Amino acid sequence: MATEPKPATEDVKIDLFEDDDEFEEFEINEEWDGKEEGKEVTQQWEDDWDDDDVSDDFSLQLRRELESNTEKN
Amino acid sequence: MAYMSMGEAHRRITEFLNRFSDAVFSQDVASLKSLFALSSNPPFLLSVADALNIFQDANRLIKQSDKYSQFGEILVPLFRSLQNYKQGSLVEAYQAFEKTANAFIQEFRNWESAWALEALCVIVYEIRILAERADRELSSSGKSPEKLKGAGSFLMKVFGALAGKGSKRMGALYVTCQLFKIYFKLGTVHLCRSVIRSIETARIFDFEEFPKRDKVTYMYYTGRLEVFNENFPAADTKLSYALKHCNPKSEANIRMILKYLIPVKLSIGILPKDWLLERYNLLEYNNVVQALRRGDLRLLRSALQDHEDRFLRSGVYLVLEKLELQAYQRLVKKIYIIQKQKDPSKAHQVKLEVIVKALKWLEIDMDVDEVECIMAILIYKNLVKGYFAHKSKVVVLSKQDPFPKLNGKPVNS
Repeated sequence: MATEPKPATEDVKIDLFEDDDEFEEFEINEEWDGKEEGKEVTQQWEDDWDDDDVSDDFSLQLRRELESNTEKN
Repeated sequence: MAYMSMGEAHRRITEFLNRFSDAVFSQDVASLKSLFALSSNPPFLLSVADALNIFQDANRLIKQSDKYSQFGEILVPLFRSLQNYKQGSLVEAYQAFEKTANAFIQEFRNWESAWALEALCVIVYEIRILAERADRELSSSGKSPEKLKGAGSFLMKVFGALAGKGSKRMGALYVTCQLFKIYFKLGTVHLCRSVIRSIETARIFDFEEFPKRDKVTYMYYTGRLEVFNENFPAADTKLSYALKHCNPKSEANIRMILKYLIPVKLSIGILPKDWLLERYNLLEYNNVVQALRRGDLRLLRSALQDHEDRFLRSGVYLVLEKLELQAYQRLVKKIYIIQKQKDPSKAHQVKLEVIVKALKWLEIDMDVDEVECIMAILIYKNLVKGYFAHKSKVVVLSKQDPFPKLNGKPVNS
């Protein structure tokens, strides 16, 4: 059996912290107005998005797919 | 470098020494801390470094006057550090600076009040930055980088000098945050645990009393640790705190918080609005969100594949991979609604065969047995309420709330 030369797979260790997303320093005395903080960003979430709407493109295609299947059966 | 006479060199060195001793005697922390901040290359410190190269006998100046010599253990290595820093010998600069820092802590311990806390913070910051640069120098000359690790041990010592001691304790969270930065860079995050314990168990001191900048940084890093531990409710609390209180002008920091908070929110069934992804340039999450909304498993898989590197690097890949279950839930729900519109009386019975077909359409090849297995997991995890009619290969959905929402809670494990 011909032994294929192993490709020189360098041990690519993926270091999770390689690009370690280091938090930028705030200045030692950095203060900011408590009233301004977090106003916009904390209101940008949807808790109740899971509706019964099936009129989007994806659902329409899914419906077509399912209907074509039932015809075949 | 512009030419500098011997007299001028002498004058600058003396000015440095006077600024130092005046700052200590008048407890002027703003002036004191500026004398340690070498990594930001302030012109005054650089000019003193030049002067030290010309006037070789600065240590004699320190010894000559009692005003300076009492701080000799801080000043002598500080001069050496400055000189080496200017010449680009960063390993030497770091080593000397650590000696200065050590001597400074001794003084700091003896001062009753915490007046010099900001100067200590600058020293702590410099230690970390110099160590990083020294390590870069070491690895580029083929030696093993070890200074940052050393800086970590040193900061633990500083932490010890601050923890639990009256107003000096205010600085403990700053040091903790610098330690986090070191541990995350070195990949030794398990070392965070002991510092966290000592911050969180000290009930005599309210966390809210720490400076805001440190609270935000602390919550960002401990939030990330919770993501790695897959403790999503805790990660949500911490990262949301960081997001809420972060300086609105620190866009890069807000983006970093969101990079971790978004996968956490997704895993408890909460979606970010498109505005957020666009505003902070986190478009790698666009298709993930879209896929969850639709129940589009194919899109979810391709979104993960497209940004695999990025998600693996930040350590959220495994979190995102687990969103598949939610996508299955959504898909089955869509099938159910479509059936219901056609024939309400039979909608509660979903043939496994139908799910197989839907998946095939999404280019996911599964047979009836495999789909049955997936459905069993969904039922077990309370993402679907129902039971199997095994013989007829049908899932019979509960008439009440067949697809329970997560409502901010993680999927059962």
